[in-house]
Amino acid sequence: MFRGDPAHTGVYAGPAPRQFHRVKWRFATGNRIVSSPVISGKALYFGGDDGNVYAVDSETGRQIWKTKTRGPVPATPAVVNGTLYVGSYDGNFYALNADTGALKWKFATGGERRFEAKGLHGMQPKNQTIADSFDIFLSSPVVVDGAVYFGSGDGNVYALDANTGELRWKFKTGDVVHASPAFADGVVFVGSWDSYFYAIDAKNGKEKWRFHGGEDALIHNQVGFQSSPAVVDGVVYTGCRDAQLYALEAESGKEKWKIDNQLSWVITSPAVVGGKVYFATSDSALYHVADAVTGKWLVKEDGRAYMFSSPSVVNDTVFIGVLNGTLAARDAASGKLLWEFQTDASKENKGWVLTVERRFNVPMLFFDNWHEGPIVAQDRQLSVGSIFSSPLVANGAVYFGSTDGFVYAID
Amino acid sequence: MRFQTGLILFLAMAALCCADEPLAGRWSGKVQIPGREVLLIVDLAHEANWTGSATLPGLNVKGAPLTGVAVQSPEVAFAIKAMSGPNIESPRVTARLADGKLTGEFLQSGNSARFVLEKIGPPQVEQQPRSSTIAKEFEGEWKGEYEVLGYPRKVTLKLQSHGTEAATADLVIVGRKVNNVPVDRVTQQGDFITIDSAAFGMTYEGRIKNDEIQGQLLQGPIETAVVLRRPK
Repeated sequence: MFRGDPAHTGVYAGPAPRQFHRVKWRFATGNRIVSSPVISGKALYFGGDDGNVYAVDSETGRQIWKTKTRGPVPATPAVVNGTLYVGSYDGNFYALNADTGALKWKFATGGERRFEAKGLHGMQPKNQTIADSFDIFLSSPVVVDGAVYFGSGDGNVYALDANTGELRWKFKTGDVVHASPAFADGVVFVGSWDSYFYAIDAKNGKEKWRFHGGEDALIHNQVGFQSSPAVVDGVVYTGCRDAQLYALEAESGKEKWKIDNQLSWVITSPAVVGGKVYFATSDSALYHVADAVTGKWLVKEDGRAYMFSSPSVVNDTVFIGVLNGTLAARDAASGKLLWEFQTDASKENKGWVLTVERRFNVPMLFFDNWHEGPIVAQDRQLSVGSIFSSPLVANGAVYFGSTDGFVYAID
Repeated sequence: MRFQTGLILFLAMAALCCADEPLAGRWSGKVQIPGREVLLIVDLAHEANWTGSATLPGLNVKGAPLTGVAVQSPEVAFAIKAMSGPNIESPRVTARLADGKLTGEFLQSGNSARFVLEKIGPPQVEQQPRSSTIAKEFEGEWKGEYEVLGYPRKVTLKLQSHGTEAATADLVIVGRKVNNVPVDRVTQQGDFITIDSAAFGMTYEGRIKNDEIQGQLLQGPIETAVVLRRPK
């Protein structure tokens, strides 16, 4: 499942390539890939913005099956006991046979929508409600003890019976829930775009506590939990669009520490292992490692472009996707870059979306404030094969998707 | 007859003048950026010095001033004061006139692309708004404060009058770091003053009343009230 386990640690078993050797294979889909691949046995599973859910042979890159939904699938599936679970922008949540792709059941939520606000990010007209094109992921499910938990654009967190798809409970928040819930010790942890982070009793859907993140009444830019939490040793780690990385006590929701990233969103879901928290920021394009106990910065490295992909830690190596169309491998201890893989689309750099240093060339992207401005700009940005997908490491290979429409296997 | 001779002489001189300055004119053509053709219109004029402006339709650049115009006919080089950003400098252009066409290279953010421009008419250099003189009541140091998304900022504005010459200003904004904001223009109209900084995309506009300036700081989506007062 997303981030490797129910607690979302972002830690994967080795080995992992310390050096770049080759693209083992790449699998073409019909549209961009935002979803992160997961593996079960030899099969790799992921969603596509072409509306398909895919199963691909992880060794050869050959398609095993695909199943069509009626909307983009920028969510990461969970595969448990031969069943694949994933949501689609068509507003349905699907359970598919992992071997064949056949539908086992589907559940209709209240319908999907993106976060929206008047004058969002300073766009004009100020009094018009504008959908956020950077609300790009759908909530990825976590499956534990026969229940599947996920968030929805209808503002609910759902708990369904994993076998039948019957509703066990739903928990209403004040806005879109596209973060992915983590599960630990009988509690579901997830943030909402209503600016609150919630701990919900997994048995009955009752709120245990809530934590208030930042608000932004001016342009609604610095608000909302898009990052998905990691829960380790009784501490919940989560990023927020208010530019903070929070460490909260899992039992009480009390803030232990926070790292202020100076107006730069923390969309990545932190990885936590060995007393360290790994995360990255969007606008400031920084890759961070912090002490998990104190929140003290240990490493801060220039990542060159926005990062929405979440870091995956494998022994002494960390992998993270960058929106400039590169996958970066970094040394876990020092944060130094070990190698980079660049997509062909990034190399082509159509329309000079990137500078020669592979930073986003802002004057060639964002040059108007009209409400469609950021949508057009994002379209340009994504033309370089941006990697939103969080890397999966298995069997010595790194798997990830790109907005160029390919899923890559690198070893 | 005398009038006719004068007219002929004038026309001949005008023709000679234009013949001397073949780079002067309105030039238009496409910059061959990979995957995207960008129309570039450049106006170059020569009076006491070379001046010019550029327009890039679709990139939100209209009549941007040319800076550092260097002409060694048939070659010309300049920067376009636009399209800059954090760590991104203004585009630079180098070109050479040959066979009536201006051929060259457009450099932006380390990327470069070729272009060919053709002369489509006389120059229409866009006049840039300039700083005005300011009244004595505006002169000197002003201080104020504001807050953006919970972050406090302190503003210090020093306005200098230069008699009949254009006024200048130093603007410093202190938040987590000290920002020396480069001021392009200071203009006073009645009791209203405007300070512009292109590099920061920032404008302060305010009205003086009872020895304080009540105004607004505008930067991107930010519109926040800032009252400037004399330091105590």
